[in-house]
Amino acid sequence: MKICSNCVLPESFPGIRLASDGVCQHCLAHKGSPVQDEALKKKYSDKFFRALEQIKASRPGYDAVMAYSGGKDSSYILSFLAGQLGLRVLAVTFDHGFVSPQGSSNIVTIAGKTNVDHITMRPNREALFRAFRESVIQKPYSLKTLQRASSICNTCMYLVKSFLLKTAIEMEIPAIVYGWSPGQIPIQSSVVQLNNSMIRQTQEALFGTLGKVIGDELRSIMLQERHFEALETREAKSSYIYNFSPLAFIDYSEEKIVEDLKLLGWVPPKDTDANSTNCLLNSFANHVHQREYGFHPYALEIANLVRGGYMTREAGLAKLNSAPDQGVLAYVRQQLGIKDREC
Amino acid sequence: MNYIEPVREFVVENFLFGDSGRLSEDTSFLKSGVLDSTGVLELIGYLEEAFGITVEDDEVIPENLDSLRNVSNFVESKLNGK
Repeated sequence: MKICSNCVLPESFPGIRLASDGVCQHCLAHKGSPVQDEALKKKYSDKFFRALEQIKASRPGYDAVMAYSGGKDSSYILSFLAGQLGLRVLAVTFDHGFVSPQGSSNIVTIAGKTNVDHITMRPNREALFRAFRESVIQKPYSLKTLQRASSICNTCMYLVKSFLLKTAIEMEIPAIVYGWSPGQIPIQSSVVQLNNSMIRQTQEALFGTLGKVIGDELRSIMLQERHFEALETREAKSSYIYNFSPLAFIDYSEEKIVEDLKLLGWVPPKDTDANSTNCLLNSFANHVHQREYGFHPYALEIANLVRGGYMTREAGLAKLNSAPDQGVLAYVRQQLGIKDREC
Repeated sequence: MNYIEPVREFVVENFLFGDSGRLSEDTSFLKSGVLDSTGVLELIGYLEEAFGITVEDDEVIPENLDSLRNVSNFVESKLNGK
């Protein structure tokens, strides 16, 4: 299998073209650009802090609700928001049934050390596992969507995003925060106010995709008509909900993040795979994705991190080539009720 | 000026992997599944870079971004408004 000689994207990656020197078109397009665009990072950092000033001045409740998985990135951002910036954060953990034991311990430790209010959302286990299973078997997602993440991860993330949006609307929290790495989202989306009509359109499209897989199960996690109506009564742009992904514009170093978190008592898990620091489902999701589509679902993120100078190509390849724990794969397969011949 | 063709090229190349058959000028990106919510953000990044415009948060609406025709009209209005 040929791999781009600059990043980590394989020749099996959808839409990729490798030039005669082995470099992919994404790396060629990036050539000549600064490894990290400091002016762009400053632009979005400034936008973030301006937004925070508006948020902190506006109301007495929470400043932000955050998707908190217990992994290194979201743990770091939680500490950054609540600790360094002194924001009033509601941390929400979406317990999908496969948080690793060390991940669970880290969640308790960091939520405690950051003194945030913390809730765990644990959906109907049977319905959720069915959603994961059907996501793999029915293949509802486009190839573009699957470039970024596995079917299972896409389903999980859609549910998390919906639940957080629902929570923000119901509790009138002005911002939702995620710990997406710089490789996972374009920096232009790291500080954005969610337009009400776009929220409705994307949620309806999302349910159009996911609904085929799960029917009305888990519908209660998603936005209902009353939520859209609540949004639409907020006419002023100043009341639109913000989405923040601060890792896109602050200095990002995996090593520094882990060292800083250790000081708070966070322990690097030994019970997860190389691409997750909290989730046992990840290994299985990656495994079935690779078998089905011929490329690792983390390839795009890691390629972006390599291109952005956040990670060496060698380190990226090591992550992608690390073998999953067969015991974990078997456990997840058994829990989800997926037969080997199904995927 | 009509900006449909460069945007079509971007969408077909990056989201449909060369398969342009599904995409008319009025196909809703979101309803047809051509773009998801993250794809909309990637589209915005492309528009800002390719045309030198800034897409404000309150301009991220289906009327501006949810089809080739809407995007073309939006880009034209932004460039004419400069």
